[in-house]
Amino acid sequence: MKFFEFVREGQWIPITGYLIYVSALTAGYYYNLTFVQLGLTDLGTRGIGLSPGDVSMAMAILALLTLVAAVASGVLMDRRGWSTDLYVKFRLLFLVVFVQLLLTIAAPHVSTVEQFVLWVIVCSMALGVGIPVTFSFMLDFVPVRDRGYVAAIVAGSSFFVAALYPIEWRIDEFSLVMSATMVPAVLVLAVLSVRRFRFVDRLASQHERDAFGTGRFCRPTPVRTASFAFWGPVLLMFGVFFIDSLGFLRIIETPLYIYTSWQSPDLSVRLFIAVLHVVGAFAAGIIYTNFDRNWLFLWVFGLFAFTHLLYVFHVQFGAGDTPPLVLPMFYVLAVSFYTTLNFALWPDLSTPETIGTHTALGVGIAGWLATFSSTALALYSEGIGLSLLSHLTYVNALALLFVVALPVLLYVHRMVELARGGTTP
Amino acid sequence: MNLELIPLLIIALLMISAGGADVETTEFVIEGDHEMTEHRGALIVGDATVTVPPDEAVSGPVYVIGGEFRVQGTVDGDVTQLSGSLVVEDGATIGGELQHIGGSEVLSDGAVITERTTVVFESAEPGPIAAYTPFVLTTLMLALVGALLSRKREPLLDNVGAATQDHPLISLTVGALLSVTFLSVFVFMAFTLILLPVSILGLLIGLLTIAYGIIALGYLAGQRLDTPRVGLATGLGVVAIMVLLQVIGVIPILGDLIAGGLLLTGLGAVVLTYFGLQEFEPVSLPE
Repeated sequence: MKFFEFVREGQWIPITGYLIYVSALTAGYYYNLTFVQLGLTDLGTRGIGLSPGDVSMAMAILALLTLVAAVASGVLMDRRGWSTDLYVKFRLLFLVVFVQLLLTIAAPHVSTVEQFVLWVIVCSMALGVGIPVTFSFMLDFVPVRDRGYVAAIVAGSSFFVAALYPIEWRIDEFSLVMSATMVPAVLVLAVLSVRRFRFVDRLASQHERDAFGTGRFCRPTPVRTASFAFWGPVLLMFGVFFIDSLGFLRIIETPLYIYTSWQSPDLSVRLFIAVLHVVGAFAAGIIYTNFDRNWLFLWVFGLFAFTHLLYVFHVQFGAGDTPPLVLPMFYVLAVSFYTTLNFALWPDLSTPETIGTHTALGVGIAGWLATFSSTALALYSEGIGLSLLSHLTYVNALALLFVVALPVLLYVHRMVELARGGTTP
Repeated sequence: MNLELIPLLIIALLMISAGGADVETTEFVIEGDHEMTEHRGALIVGDATVTVPPDEAVSGPVYVIGGEFRVQGTVDGDVTQLSGSLVVEDGATIGGELQHIGGSEVLSDGAVITERTTVVFESAEPGPIAAYTPFVLTTLMLALVGALLSRKREPLLDNVGAATQDHPLISLTVGALLSVTFLSVFVFMAFTLILLPVSILGLLIGLLTIAYGIIALGYLAGQRLDTPRVGLATGLGVVAIMVLLQVIGVIPILGDLIAGGLLLTGLGAVVLTYFGLQEFEPVSLPE
């Protein structure tokens, strides 16, 4: 790892970059994972008294607006050269976190549908701008060699904390804790936005170094936005996120499965899940760093298909019994794998000139649009009374479809290359 | 689930399959404390406490492979105990055959048991020679195979050994992921009964791959002997590794972790190198 090289040589400024990246992304991902995705459901259904169907509509709006805001800000960042200007990115992040702090404080006081819709719109704008800003930090702070491991640390840490705390997904309980932890971050970002520092100057120029700037899959030829090399992973990641949220939300809403999920009242179960998230992320980091990314995709889809098969099997034959921990174990492994992949993949498919657009499209479509649209669909299916077994059967079918689609996609791609006269494997 | 239950689970499933029971009604209770009422079809008791309460009846057959099976009511079918604990209380009825193969049992005089058979294994407490014979035989066999393989097809062991030595973390990760996934898949397959042969075959291939990994580790250890007789060196290396795996278990927790880590690293290296047919090279990343 380059990190150990920096430590041996006493290069503390690049090490600071690692710390900034891990802190910012871990906090951001934890916030979005818990406060927005699950807190929004709680706010809409329990706080406002909306039906699951109406909340699913709000989720869909949030997903679409987030995508639009992400793509607009990502493209703007690339065109204006902000993607490579660390000071501008700190200013944008300050604005994002400041708005999110206000939203966090305001959340428990939202009491009408109009206020809820306004909250969702402002939230999606902040999220949208935050996506290309934070994900493109990898270009400034993390060398290409270490991206898999650093992504694993971010994914593992945020899931570790999310699994251990809190027990209840209640937005008012979150609000106070979240606000308190966000204030220091806002202050630090405010200082970094208005003053220049020598160590930040050094960090801001790191993307010009060969070890940092151009992503792994853009060497020697950059990946174009309008290419299969970019849209293939977008499609696959969309499938992964969509399938996960579609299954996960229904599972955690089913009382039987709560005991072996993040919401288990048993601390040892939550600790098991939390530790496994870290182990899974670490394994994903190793595979991402040492193998072609397709292997990681194959692992992700394989694990997902098997996990859903296990759940469907348990729903069908083991009804009434507390599910064995092998079920959440595979779920956790799959989630840690794809989250690690999501953090490292988009910067590695980008150059300093395209990172804003690529991370916005990648995370916006594959991450947010997929997660929230499937969350909306999961809430809708619950609202219309679709049984858990039927719901999971659909999820299972999708997971299996993607397991088959990946090798077929790779094979067809190779065929197209051969038809065009390419010879290299 | 306790990994030691897996072979017993496979045996129980084989017995269910041979008995012609319906797969869809087979239930495997893996953990917790349960009261069984009205269960129809085969029941396998794993790491759990399962009780048939008074005035309740389950149809059976029941297979006890771990945990505790407590009968206060009625089991209409056969009960086969392979391991774990069986308690049949006063007033309980076992309508079929009670077959005791292993584990502990407490049968009340007031219980009604239609037919009872016990499979007795000789020498319940084997002497030191009998206890270590399987280990010695396995070690000798692996050492012999290792010696032959290193003399005839040394590049195979060279590639696996290089992956183990140069990329231990990657080998360990791949080995751990493969073992966790495939072990679960094979157990899952066994439950379908139709895929039981595939499951057994898969487990055997897994064991052979682990054995191959041990031979590769032995080959690496043998290289330290600095002798031109590669066959002898590998054989001795395999013996050293097997003894290490046996002895290191004395250290609590850490010993098992090291032994498990070595086996998984060997397994991962074997798979990474396509059983030694190709060198493993990680992808090239900018320095």
